Amino acid sequence: MTHEATQITSPPKPSEILLHLGPQHPLQPGPFLLDLKIEGETIREAELKIGYIHKGMEKVFEDRTYLQILPLTDRICYLASNSNNDVYCRGVEELLGIEPTERAKYLRVLTNELCRLQSHLLGIGEYATDVGFLTMFIYMVREREGVVSLLEAITGSRLNHNYARFGGVANDLPPGYKDMALKTLSELKKQVKSHDAMMSSDSIYLRRTKGVGVLTAKEAGELGVAGPPLRATGVEYDLRRMEPYLVYDDLDFKVITQNDGDVFSRVKVRLLEILESIYIVEQCLDQMPSGPYKQDVTPYITRPKPGEVYARIEDPRGEMGMYIISDGSDKPYRFRIRGPAFATAQALPPLLVGGYVADVAAIAASMDSCTSEVDR
Amino acid sequence: MGIFEIIMDYLVIIFAHNPFAPWIRGVLGGLVIGAVFAGALVMVYLERKFLGDMQSRIGPNRVGRFGVLQLIADAIKLFTKEDIIPAKADKWLFIGAPIVALTSGFLMVAVIPFDLLVIKGEEYAVAVSRMDISILYLEAVSGLAIFATFMAGWGSSNKYAVLAAFRNVAKMIGYEIPLGITIISVAVMAHSLDIVEIVEAQSSIWFIIAQPLGFVVFFIALLADVGRIPFDQTEAEEELVAGWATEYSGMRWGLAFFAEYLHAVVGSFIVALIFLGGWNGLPIVGNLYIPGIFWVIAKVIIVMMLFIWIRAALPRYRIDQVIDIGWKVLIPLALLNLVWSTIIGLMWA
Repeated sequence: MTHEATQITSPPKPSEILLHLGPQHPLQPGPFLLDLKIEGETIREAELKIGYIHKGMEKVFEDRTYLQILPLTDRICYLASNSNNDVYCRGVEELLGIEPTERAKYLRVLTNELCRLQSHLLGIGEYATDVGFLTMFIYMVREREGVVSLLEAITGSRLNHNYARFGGVANDLPPGYKDMALKTLSELKKQVKSHDAMMSSDSIYLRRTKGVGVLTAKEAGELGVAGPPLRATGVEYDLRRMEPYLVYDDLDFKVITQNDGDVFSRVKVRLLEILESIYIVEQCLDQMPSGPYKQDVTPYITRPKPGEVYARIEDPRGEMGMYIISDGSDKPYRFRIRGPAFATAQALPPLLVGGYVADVAAIAASMDSCTSEVDR
Repeated sequence: MGIFEIIMDYLVIIFAHNPFAPWIRGVLGGLVIGAVFAGALVMVYLERKFLGDMQSRIGPNRVGRFGVLQLIADAIKLFTKEDIIPAKADKWLFIGAPIVALTSGFLMVAVIPFDLLVIKGEEYAVAVSRMDISILYLEAVSGLAIFATFMAGWGSSNKYAVLAAFRNVAKMIGYEIPLGITIISVAVMAHSLDIVEIVEAQSSIWFIIAQPLGFVVFFIALLADVGRIPFDQTEAEEELVAGWATEYSGMRWGLAFFAEYLHAVVGSFIVALIFLGGWNGLPIVGNLYIPGIFWVIAKVIIVMMLFIWIRAALPRYRIDQVIDIGWKVLIPLALLNLVWSTIIGLMWA
């Protein structure tokens, strides 16, 4: 994958036009500018320009105490707020040299998987509208509502959860949670299976998605793409399995892969991962030990010893990493975020070249990038 | 029977045998146009409500009972919005496009018959105008709609609009042909180009049964013609924003939008008239007299529901796939159907 494939190198010829998709366009989840040089309906060159909502989060974090950073990690990407909390807390815990309690580990896995469920459901829904399938979007949002309510029952909020704490979590499960969760999830499982059957059999849908926007395993590796887009190319790369954090070692789950690397496979991976995540949540609810959900003593002012740490997590969109350097004060000396959406966004222009304008929506949405996280 | 006969006598005197008859018929023609106009409004409402039900939403429910007045609220909104003409737009093309679109819709309405009354051996078609070649006229006038989209696309000097206009012209060239061939097949079977006579020819057997292939081809081509999912590439929101209507706002956009629904309604009428037997009722009602106009409207609403149902159930084709289907599948099938209908038509003759 060369650098040239991601840039527009020459002005358009008389037979070509330069189409600016963005910064505001119905296909986008957030503002970015996608410049396309097209000839008829065929895309000759593509270039992605980002930075419209850059928030300078890494620099902001270096000016906040460790506890103040915690709620801000939600805002990196609101659809993955739980995993962002979790990876940040694991980093700081490593610096502090403490471990979350056993029950807290299960609670974090539980909320992480619920978070993955709602992110995948919305991702598939947005993708469905982009191929002109509005009905599926509304079905997916309907299904997601139940999952968001489950998260709300634990964390008290629907999007920015702010649930993990250093050495534990904010609060325990509400009473009667298990029954409520199992009921919602069994209904969800039924619905997702039926949607999967619909999306695997509809001939128009298959023609729109099979063999479109093919990402090879090699390209994915070079561009740093992880998560569902990488697993759709047949690579069994999942941090939950390769570097089991929290209690993923004790849980039984499959790493979902598909072989084609096209739009269809990427969405199929997400659909099947929803079923897998439901299974993980069910196991968590069964195996969860009783005990404290947080450490007895949590220091109010956190001053880790000097050192550095890189913590990473399997985000709904790929590999989320946070690199923290501590100089012994109550604020991090350097903070760096490695976001999954940034990698999927930079893989977008090479996938578009040679395709049709109509495929832009399908390919972009199937990568499930998040502008908020790209421009963190 | 007595009272019915007397009423009919009076009707004939009112509409045919008095010096004011042409004016009265003119008013009646206006009413017919108004009815189709109302049909388009009904379709917009049905689309919102019925599609909402299919997508487990509620749809409009605040303005009036069951949201029936929502359309009036929308119309007021559109009328009161600022009228924007882009600085770089070709002004006359930009202004003219919605007018051409609407004109083509209304010209089509002119030959749509609702019923055929036979009183004392004389035939009276309930239509604005009865022509010998009405089906050919419909096909010709519906083709005008392409000019509207191309004028709008070219005139707004917007890249999305131009792309949408190109797509629309490419699509129409591919789909007007199977549409025309299936109409010819129907005309061959009915031995007439007059819609009234085509409907009368279906009194024994509807053409959907006599040439099912023709119906399928015609319906798919019609979906593409009126630009509904899965053939709505010209206004695919996620690709081309609002397609050729991207730069339109306020009532100009409202007119373009309305013209589109008018085309869909007229399309439903054509399907109901030339394939579903028009005012020929089903025998299920026994001896009960049901006016033909009721059958026509019922069939039109069924066809509209079918449009909406398809929209709820299918994603969108890509433009190159659409053109593939038009040239490689529909045209051969339409020709096959022409051969079939010619053979059957000759046997009947």
